[in-house]
Amino acid sequence: MKKIVCIALAALLLLALCACGKDKGPVTYGFLDETLGVESYAIGFRKGDDALMQTVSGAVKALVKDGTYAAIGEKYPDIKDYLCLKAEDISDADLPAKGSGDPSYTFIHGFDLDYPPYSYLQDDGSVGGFDVELCQAVCDYLGWKYQPLPFNWDAKDAELNAGSCDCIWSGFTKEGREDDYCWGITYSNNTQGILVASNSGIKTLADLKGKTVGVQTATSAMDMLEGDRKDLADTFKELKVYETYTIAFADLKAGAIDAIAIDMTAGSFLIANEAAAASK
Amino acid sequence: MILEMKNIQKSFGGVRVLRDISVCVDQGEVVSIIGPSGSGKSTLLRCATFLETVDSGEIRYEGEPAVTTDEYGNAHYAAPDALRALKRYYGLVFQQFNLFPHYTVLKNVTDAPLTVQKRDKAEVHGTAMELLRKMGLEDKASSYPYQLSGGQQQRVAIARALAMRPEILFFDEPTSALDPELTGEVLKVIKQLAVEKMTMVIVTHEMPFARAVSDRVVFMDGGVIVEQGDPEAVFGAPQQARTKQFLQTYQR
Amino acid sequence: MTFSTMLSTMAAGMLRTCGIFFLTLLGSLPLGMVVCLLRKSKHALVRTIVKIYISIMRGTPLMLQLLVWYFGPYYLFRLPIGGWRFPAIIFGFVVNYAAYFAEIYRSGIDSMPVGQYEAAEVLGYTKGRTFFRIILPQVVKRILPAVTNEVITLVKDTSLAFTLAYSEVFSLAKQISASQTSFVPFVIAGVFYYIANYAVAFAMERIEKALNYYR
Repeated sequence: MKKIVCIALAALLLLALCACGKDKGPVTYGFLDETLGVESYAIGFRKGDDALMQTVSGAVKALVKDGTYAAIGEKYPDIKDYLCLKAEDISDADLPAKGSGDPSYTFIHGFDLDYPPYSYLQDDGSVGGFDVELCQAVCDYLGWKYQPLPFNWDAKDAELNAGSCDCIWSGFTKEGREDDYCWGITYSNNTQGILVASNSGIKTLADLKGKTVGVQTATSAMDMLEGDRKDLADTFKELKVYETYTIAFADLKAGAIDAIAIDMTAGSFLIANEAAAASK
Repeated sequence: MILEMKNIQKSFGGVRVLRDISVCVDQGEVVSIIGPSGSGKSTLLRCATFLETVDSGEIRYEGEPAVTTDEYGNAHYAAPDALRALKRYYGLVFQQFNLFPHYTVLKNVTDAPLTVQKRDKAEVHGTAMELLRKMGLEDKASSYPYQLSGGQQQRVAIARALAMRPEILFFDEPTSALDPELTGEVLKVIKQLAVEKMTMVIVTHEMPFARAVSDRVVFMDGGVIVEQGDPEAVFGAPQQARTKQFLQTYQR
Repeated sequence: MTFSTMLSTMAAGMLRTCGIFFLTLLGSLPLGMVVCLLRKSKHALVRTIVKIYISIMRGTPLMLQLLVWYFGPYYLFRLPIGGWRFPAIIFGFVVNYAAYFAEIYRSGIDSMPVGQYEAAEVLGYTKGRTFFRIILPQVVKRILPAVTNEVITLVKDTSLAFTLAYSEVFSLAKQISASQTSFVPFVIAGVFYYIANYAVAFAMERIEKALNYYR
């Protein structure tokens, strides 16, 4: 009798394991076709710093013209599709000349080192990302010295106003902040989207009704869900605010939340990293 | 006359603890102060050693004024330096010993003579060892206070006070914190000092000891000296009703 | 990013963390004593000022204090603050921890039996000598466990330096975690903190043992 019970139990266990394996499968992650909206990423300067803004914006245009902008974009596939400046739209007239800046001037770039792929730590431990490379290229073009200031995002305005840095430039959304800064050129049209697991059954924004959605604190996605798209956020069971998207993504993988509202370039970066880890 | 206290007044928050007390102590005299708790005897000792300040009255050591009182009845203390200099005349042995726990027995005895009196190191060391021998504690010189019994600690405290070469030694209930079986060793030491004609003022509850060791007994109650005199007179034939009553509670 | 790159990047961050740690202790342990003595001053005004200082330091978040120390000179007086960043961080930590240490010292000094002061006074010790020879050595022994607690808290509090863009080990862990979508950097940071705190606990235990020769 004991034997039979044992065998039966073992069989049951095996069955359960098989079932698990079947259910699991490789889970992938993707965006809903519907998005939350489009926003422009631009360079924020201190109010009154119009001359500096003009110079830097002009240099960015010159880099678009000479192909550097697109070349940097090639290195960041998650960003490439959202870059909005085209060489053919730019006239040669108002571009600053190469090396026309004061060579003794140090341009301090304020950014969040937590924000891939715009500004983040590279595999070799150095500071990098699309915004960092573009800003470095601007300084190289003008002949300025480049100095990075990877600040605490919560203290960005204090740093800028106190003169610790010359600009805020790290996936910095212009919408909703139009009057707070002297805005430089918009170099990327970024879209805020909803990231879900492929097996979640969520296909549209309407499916998010009664679901738990995660977002990183002080991001455009959060601003949107608390502002223009509050109507949508009100249908959620809960809008969970995280310190970083890394933790939010871990919660999504663990099934603790159903979706993440995120800037699609940053989201693509998460998805690509996850796919790379899964294929290892 | 080593110590002269005249018309001492002291109040704590409106309660008069010492009411016009006058005491003098001569060279070589042993004076015991007895009395019920709260009678002011410990306060008198603390005033004599400047641990408490008097409200009015006079205190002199060997004629040198420590406290004087002006015509309005306000006490005036000597300047801090002068007051500190007067400390060389007296020593005080506490009820709770108050040894320095982080110093060895020897260092407890030698530290003040060396650092305060700036005496010669070899001389102080010799004196200290001599005193410890006298206290029966020469083998404890390198021990720490916590390793000693209460009686031993109190004997170290006596040695510490004596090492300063005081003219007069005060004892504030020196055996009250001790287990009964340990009081004897401390009292024996004090008796020996009396034999050597050390000037001492002893606040105590040990009546047979006070009777045996004293030249004079002072009975205090309610902040006044009720009766004083030869120990045989005070203990044998007290004149005052309060003295009789107090002694009866002890002789039961 | 390879594991060894991650490790070496974070080890460099840990060094910067240790920099804040040691400089803070170097400044706040003695300053705490000064604050403590002022707190016990005879002058009511001094006492009140120090009491307010301690209450603000302990009653507001250290992160906020760091922001005020660094940005305050600019926002209040329009002073240039270039080069003030690192000094501001150390200053902020030192004055904050000095307040905590002052209160620990005070509790230690207040717990000393009055008999120790009286014995020293009768023996003719001056006030200064009484404090430094008799009281302080015993206070040190009494407060050691409380100081150990505070020092361990400091190890962990160093992560607040990132408020002022000082890239210490924890902010690096966050940044690497973001770029690698991985929690491994946090585990490494945890191990670093644990090792640091183990070293602190070990050192303090040795000091406690060394002071165990008396009770």
